[in-house]
Amino acid sequence: MRIVVFAVLALIPPTLIGSLLWQGRKAPPTEKVVAARPSGQEADAALRALFDAQFPGAKVKDKVALYDEKGLFDYIDGAAPIFIERHFRKLGAAELSTPEGSDLVCDVYDMATLENAQSIFDKEKSPSAKPAEGFPDAISGPMSFVFHHSRYYTKLTAFDAKAEAVLPAVARTLKEKMK
Amino acid sequence: MSDGDKHGAADLVPESRLRESSKKNAPDPDPERRAVLRVGLCAALACGSVGLGLALRTREGHGKSKDLPKLKDHRVAKVAGAVEMAIARGPDAAANVRRALEAMGGMGRFVKRGERVVIKPNIGWNRLPEQAANTNPDVVAEVVKLVAAAGASKIWVTDVSVNTAEQCFARSGIEKAAKAAGATVVRPDATAFREVDVSGKLLRTGDVLFPFVEADKIINVPVVKQHGLSGATGALKNWYGVLGGQRVKLHQNIHLSIVDLAAMIKPTLTVMDATRILLANGPTGGSLADVKQMDTIAVSTDEVALDAFGAGLLGLSPNDLGFIVEGMKAGLGTMNWRSLKTEELGG
Repeated sequence: MRIVVFAVLALIPPTLIGSLLWQGRKAPPTEKVVAARPSGQEADAALRALFDAQFPGAKVKDKVALYDEKGLFDYIDGAAPIFIERHFRKLGAAELSTPEGSDLVCDVYDMATLENAQSIFDKEKSPSAKPAEGFPDAISGPMSFVFHHSRYYTKLTAFDAKAEAVLPAVARTLKEKMK
Repeated sequence: MSDGDKHGAADLVPESRLRESSKKNAPDPDPERRAVLRVGLCAALACGSVGLGLALRTREGHGKSKDLPKLKDHRVAKVAGAVEMAIARGPDAAANVRRALEAMGGMGRFVKRGERVVIKPNIGWNRLPEQAANTNPDVVAEVVKLVAAAGASKIWVTDVSVNTAEQCFARSGIEKAAKAAGATVVRPDATAFREVDVSGKLLRTGDVLFPFVEADKIINVPVVKQHGLSGATGALKNWYGVLGGQRVKLHQNIHLSIVDLAAMIKPTLTVMDATRILLANGPTGGSLADVKQMDTIAVSTDEVALDAFGAGLLGLSPNDLGFIVEGMKAGLGTMNWRSLKTEELGG
């Protein structure tokens, strides 16, 4: 009798696990704003805080979205693995707009270390991109401005000439806030 | 009844049962062995139940997929002697589409009067046409116009965007261009999906956008791009954009999942956009420094051949791209596009 009770009790955890697995199959897509892992709370707060800056000539339009490793595929699709290979920690992404209504996208990747940030910068650097004047470790291509500083790798993308014009100033403001 | 009577009753118990009873009450000669056996039995039961649960889950998945609809085969019969691939080059993207289609026998060869047609461009990214991450809107609009001229009763243009759909559909210029040309644009909201049987090697079932279930004909309109994980993206990879759900699962074995989806769809025609191609930092792009103007449109019913042609534009060998090799093995087409009857039209 005791064995039977024991066996029934033993069946409960695997049944629960099986049920969760089955429900997981039907689960809706991951929330784009990912809950902070306790160990990364400070890092998440620091990442969010970068977007609190007063950007010259541009303002954050909506909320800042944070993406972890899994969520990264929902934002950059097949480009995600090259970040994950380099120990990507989290991405903060937001759209900014100028007073004239021109938009730009600001993606700040927290790569955990300066070396990882340098590595992804080198990997993604377009052969035809030009070094940004007066801004070390930065390149500017038409409609984009990319740089790395501290543990962060940042990509700014503009959608018209007016937005493109404010990219260096936005980059400079972000860099000042990066520790 | 006295105590003596009780004992008397005990005396009537057969000897064999008394021996059994005494065995039960006797101290266990090997308690450790019994405990190990008990734990072992429970572990075996637990493992068995997990195994049974997983087996039932898999069987349920298989059984369920049998009850789900499969997408129709949307291909048209081959015409003896007809051009199998047409490549048009020139500065006017819309004119390239028209010329290539004409060389293939005209849109009327593929779409009949009254049919419902879904057109699938790449609208995955919050990017401008100049940034070459999405299909060129002029190309999409021209395909819509040709399908409408062939007499289609309904034309949908749709895609599952990677970035926010509202931004992608607007920024790409495709929503505006497709609507102006007469199409119904379907954004991928939660009500737009239907579960279907994929029956692939990796994917059993999937939620696809409803026009792919309802349409009589499907036209694939991908853009040629470098892709960080698969090496390149074009016709076959474009089918990622019919599925809802988390993308991370698809990327765990990207080449096989591309082939699974391509084997499920069986489109009528593919119009490949190489007006501008993204040479690096795909699939997202962003910098115009990564974009090359090619002013090319290629049309065929063979998606593998088109992807092999697109690989060449990116400076890659089709043999190095797993999904092209696997696609050919799966019988989806040939990577030797020059073996097809091809017509090349200059600018």
